[in-house]
Amino acid sequence: MTPRLTRRRFIKSVIFSGAALSTGAGFYLTSAQTRQAGAVERLVSLNINGRTRRVDVMPQETLAYTLRYKLGLTGTKIGCNRGECGSCTVTISDVTHYACSTLTHSVKDKAVMTVEGLRAEDGTLHAVQAAFIAELSPQCGFCTPGQIMSAVALLKTNPRPTRDEARQALSGNLCRCGAYDHYLNGVMRASGQLS
Amino acid sequence: MTYKLIGKDFTPPDIEGKVTGEARYAEDFKKEGMVFARLLTSPLPAGRIVSIDYSEALAMEGVVGILTTEDLPQPAAPANPSLASDEITYLGQPILAIAAVTEQIAENALEKIRIDFERRPFVVDPLDTLVEGGPNPYPKGNTLVRTGGAAAAGTTQSGTDVQEIKWPRDAINAFRAGRDPGPNVPWGAEWVFGELDAEFAQCTSIVEEPFVTIGQSHHALESRTGMAYWENGRCFFYGSLQSHTIGIPALANMLGVDPANLVFINENTGGGFGGKIFPYPIMAVTGHLARKVNRPVQLRITREEEFYIGHARAGMQGWMKLGLKANGDVGAIDMIVIGDAGSGGGASGPGAANFVSLMLQPAAMRFRGISLYTNTAPRAAQRGPGENEMATALSPIYDKAIKQAGLDRVQVKIQNAPDSTGTIGPQRGELTGSWFPQAIAQGAEMFNWQERSQLSGRRNGTKVTGIGVGMGYHSAGASGYDGLCRIGTDGKLYLHTGVGNLGTYSYAAVVRAAAEVLKVEWENCEIVRGNSDLHLPWSTFQAGSNTMFTEVRTNNIAALDAVRKLKQIAATDLGGEAAEYDIDGQRVFRISDPTQGLTYAQAAQRAVELGGEYSGQTYPEDLNAITARSVQGLAGTGLIGVGKDTRHTGTVPSMTVGFMQIELDTLTGKYDIIDYACVADCGTIVHPMGFSQSMRGGGVWGVGLAGYERLVYDPQNGLPANVGLYQAKIPTYLDVPMTTQHGATNIPDPQSPVGSRGVGEPSQGCACAALASAISDALDGHQFGRAPVTADMIINHVAQVDHFNTGNLKTNTF
Amino acid sequence: MAGYDNMPDMELYQPVQIDDALALAARLAERGWLVGGGQDTYGWIKDRAKRPEALIDLNGIESLRGIRETEDGIEIGALTTLTELATNPIVNERYSLLSKAASVVASPQIRNAGTVGGNLVQDVRCWYYRRGLDCYRAGGNLCYADTPEAQNREHAIFEASRCVAVTPSDTGPALVALEAQMVITSANGTRVVPAESFFVGPQINIVKTTVLREGEILTAVRIPAKWANAEFYHEKVADRNVWDFALVSIAGALRIEGGNIVESSIVCGAVQCTPRRLTSVERAIQGQPRNEATATLVAGMASQGASPLNQNGFKMPLMDNLVTKLLTA
Repeated sequence: MTPRLTRRRFIKSVIFSGAALSTGAGFYLTSAQTRQAGAVERLVSLNINGRTRRVDVMPQETLAYTLRYKLGLTGTKIGCNRGECGSCTVTISDVTHYACSTLTHSVKDKAVMTVEGLRAEDGTLHAVQAAFIAELSPQCGFCTPGQIMSAVALLKTNPRPTRDEARQALSGNLCRCGAYDHYLNGVMRASGQLS
Repeated sequence: MTYKLIGKDFTPPDIEGKVTGEARYAEDFKKEGMVFARLLTSPLPAGRIVSIDYSEALAMEGVVGILTTEDLPQPAAPANPSLASDEITYLGQPILAIAAVTEQIAENALEKIRIDFERRPFVVDPLDTLVEGGPNPYPKGNTLVRTGGAAAAGTTQSGTDVQEIKWPRDAINAFRAGRDPGPNVPWGAEWVFGELDAEFAQCTSIVEEPFVTIGQSHHALESRTGMAYWENGRCFFYGSLQSHTIGIPALANMLGVDPANLVFINENTGGGFGGKIFPYPIMAVTGHLARKVNRPVQLRITREEEFYIGHARAGMQGWMKLGLKANGDVGAIDMIVIGDAGSGGGASGPGAANFVSLMLQPAAMRFRGISLYTNTAPRAAQRGPGENEMATALSPIYDKAIKQAGLDRVQVKIQNAPDSTGTIGPQRGELTGSWFPQAIAQGAEMFNWQERSQLSGRRNGTKVTGIGVGMGYHSAGASGYDGLCRIGTDGKLYLHTGVGNLGTYSYAAVVRAAAEVLKVEWENCEIVRGNSDLHLPWSTFQAGSNTMFTEVRTNNIAALDAVRKLKQIAATDLGGEAAEYDIDGQRVFRISDPTQGLTYAQAAQRAVELGGEYSGQTYPEDLNAITARSVQGLAGTGLIGVGKDTRHTGTVPSMTVGFMQIELDTLTGKYDIIDYACVADCGTIVHPMGFSQSMRGGGVWGVGLAGYERLVYDPQNGLPANVGLYQAKIPTYLDVPMTTQHGATNIPDPQSPVGSRGVGEPSQGCACAALASAISDALDGHQFGRAPVTADMIINHVAQVDHFNTGNLKTNTF
Repeated sequence: MAGYDNMPDMELYQPVQIDDALALAARLAERGWLVGGGQDTYGWIKDRAKRPEALIDLNGIESLRGIRETEDGIEIGALTTLTELATNPIVNERYSLLSKAASVVASPQIRNAGTVGGNLVQDVRCWYYRRGLDCYRAGGNLCYADTPEAQNREHAIFEASRCVAVTPSDTGPALVALEAQMVITSANGTRVVPAESFFVGPQINIVKTTVLREGEILTAVRIPAKWANAEFYHEKVADRNVWDFALVSIAGALRIEGGNIVESSIVCGAVQCTPRRLTSVERAIQGQPRNEATATLVAGMASQGASPLNQNGFKMPLMDNLVTKLLTA
């Protein structure tokens, strides 16, 4: 058995929720030149950090890719690219998502916020950012933007969370350095519960 | 001693970038014309490359170039080239790299490459290669033999060779069954001190236990991505190392460039944990590919590739006999470690044995060990290599002997713990100083051991309480590196450091020692680091918990040199002897008449005018070439403080003790960590919040080592089962103690100018040992003899089907 | 091996009407892939282990979202996220078994994106299969996990047939316990299937874990009033408390009258390819009080008939222990 070869096998069965395997096999090829009902336009407007950006987005492009490689927003980190670490966490309509596991085309009409969008116009840091500095929350810092976005989303819906609520809310963000306590201290400070 | 800066919290200058997303890691740098590289790696654990056909891939539109081993200098055997030549020794071993205008095109091109392989037998369990007739992981053998100079930790390099070591099947069977394999087997390393038999004869409580610890991946969240380009014969390399300037000569050597022509930029590093101490082989691929295609190249390493090439902790299959005398003194220890060095690197048996010799201070001890290769992930130092996995294995065994003797666990641990007269290892090496018995007592009080230990075994429905105590240690200091600082004509103090930014903020903590000596307000200091073009000194590696000791020494020397020059300049300009002058308030002034003096800005201006040693035109001859070049680069820009550190004597012991209370559900094998308290004897605390981070982060790592993380391979085909992060079982927010109490003895080390030692590694050791101890305690002292202990093992034990117990010492499996 | 990490070129369709989605699914056939939350989609594609040529993103179809009250209980749109399920007041009040199950799926971000439909039809997690090996489930003719030295700690102890993968779903066992109905739509109309028969094992279909046929989309889940406000018990035992799939989970609904259990519905996850209903336990506890004595009465019954592999024997005591916990909670 050679995994390299077998890995390349085309797995012919489908796939997710039973998308059809039926006739009509030639349809896609013959009509590929004209856009199908529901097929996407590549040039799209994205609402990122309160600004509208026109971007040429490949159909299969992930939001993490668009942010980092098309828009230069490298604060969103790719730690695993598989939804297993949380380094790429952004908010979409104030809800946390893994940008590595989000299609850019699915956020066209939604407000996307990344770590770069948190500072006020005058440069003032967001309360969570300031609190994370005060509590020396980050260690290596690679997971920090994701931790911050999870904390920001939490405080939007729950301005005075308990420590356990904060722990639950941030639990989809791995920190290999193990700075969890310091991040939680930061959340408690940002919510005015720690002075 | 009262300090203005040492022992105080501060805001490290890089932290704002970390919370705003502006901090740049290797992958965040872009360069005009940059292309993207992708790797092709081995699908086999062992074999030979017969042929590679990449013509179709190279011809694809958008493909810029391909790098194979033929493009690389070949290191002396047995070291592996960065791209496999013909021999394959592990699955995931890089074979070639493709550069293309996008990653996606590079990946498409990888699909067009045809490679013919020839299979070779492989091994994932060290005992399977140790047994006579067992396959060898390398064509030449299964163990590394040192024939020349010592290799750096976790690396193979010339001066070594691969040879074969084998045991008769009977000896393997005995060892697998948990017994001493007998006198007639060869060892790779062996030592003894004291009268072993005589001491055992005096022991009244003797335990004999086998143990297995399984390695785990480092999995720093930032993979080992790099970006490189060449301009006018100079290589600019954006990398991800724990250390900085100490890596330059090795990286330059890999790239075939004079160190003077290598610009190494590494502003932030997204974690290393021992896996990125020195330049690693894949950096050569990035640099050589950039030179070959004559364009900037980014080689991003995926999470899966990070598993393959990002290293892992070594594993151990061991046996220990431990004897306590009636009064609780440790009489004798006999231990064996068969170390799993994976497909490269060194195993950790000797470190494990040194750990035991220090923490228990036995009257007699014997160690026998072998480091064996397997066709699993290459191993490297990982947070307390040897010490921390041994701490995990040791604590339940030690507990068993103490309980058997009817003594108190904490009392016995205090009694045997090393004080400043303690020794380490077969040479009975001396310590710079130790107050570890006090640390254990302090921890016991913080945890309220007297009362808490009574809860041991208490039932609450299906749950049972376990109380654990464990100890951690790592040698935490080196010496002999260079220090460099500069007082600018603007009066500011520029603190140059070649210390890497691995996330501990130690780079900032140590330069504060120079600011302290020069009595400069922190606001008037600027740290210069992260880019070798910024004139950085030769600094120690950021590993082995040593920065806080080693680099406080260098900064102290540089600052004292600057103070000397300030006073001499003042004496030259204002008359009298240098000794008649003092410094404060960023001025050098006459002690008898403080109004007579120069500001630091004025003194720096005078240094520039005076030249010579004052402004770095001349400098001590014993400086490292990197520091010398940096001083040359700074010459004439201010007052230069520079010097080479002297050598310290003895081992610098950083030691910790951890106490843990768990509540374990006997029906599910899951447990909650109710409380965790830890105390360190690591000298003066220089940066309290940084210390806090170390202790808490080490606690998380301890939970991972003792409870979750391990490599898993299918012995039938050599495939790794857990390459991804979710399978690696790195502890999450919901798996660790919600809060950690911590403390320190805060007694200065005699050989550090401010008394400091690091604690990054021991902070894990005490936690994993405490958890292993607590789990065993909750289950009536049961010896799993393994790390990690997972829920399925606990369920099986409670159900009395101990399928997962040490049994045949199996490793690298579930 | 190649370090695949990028989404290869493909088409993307974002229909807003269910009819368009059904037509696309029919047209694209095996070259298409339906995307809900996508949390079990992108990994397959980035690994190039599965290679659809087009994605059909269902998220624009509003009719697939939300939780509605019906004459006999509630109906949950298949695109309802797991977070909505975990926090919805109606679900929490009447069917807390389901909200509890939804609340322990993976991680908060995955629950924010992941849908109940996706959680039910997600593919198995057998690591050999996920590695892209040519096993039975991938169209080949062997099983890597069912061999003497295979690393099969997480695999099936019941109803293996060539393949020994287990159901990874957390909501599946809860919905089987609640006797939910699955609403399946195709171009030909709608059919409704009981949750218990929605899932199929490898003896019936080696490549798919549900009854969904070509051209069909799971559009909604209906929960009957029968078990509303019953006594519930849910526990998921996994290694880590975030991200990890269950080693074994249990979802139980009990109706207690006059101090005795009059009816129960108890289901285990992660012990076979489908949620496993513990019918013998249900029968044995009928008429008994929910207490330790009853737990003793049925001790060992849940795991009866199991055929463990080399490394997953622990699932037998674990199943039995979870029944004990359910009865003594």
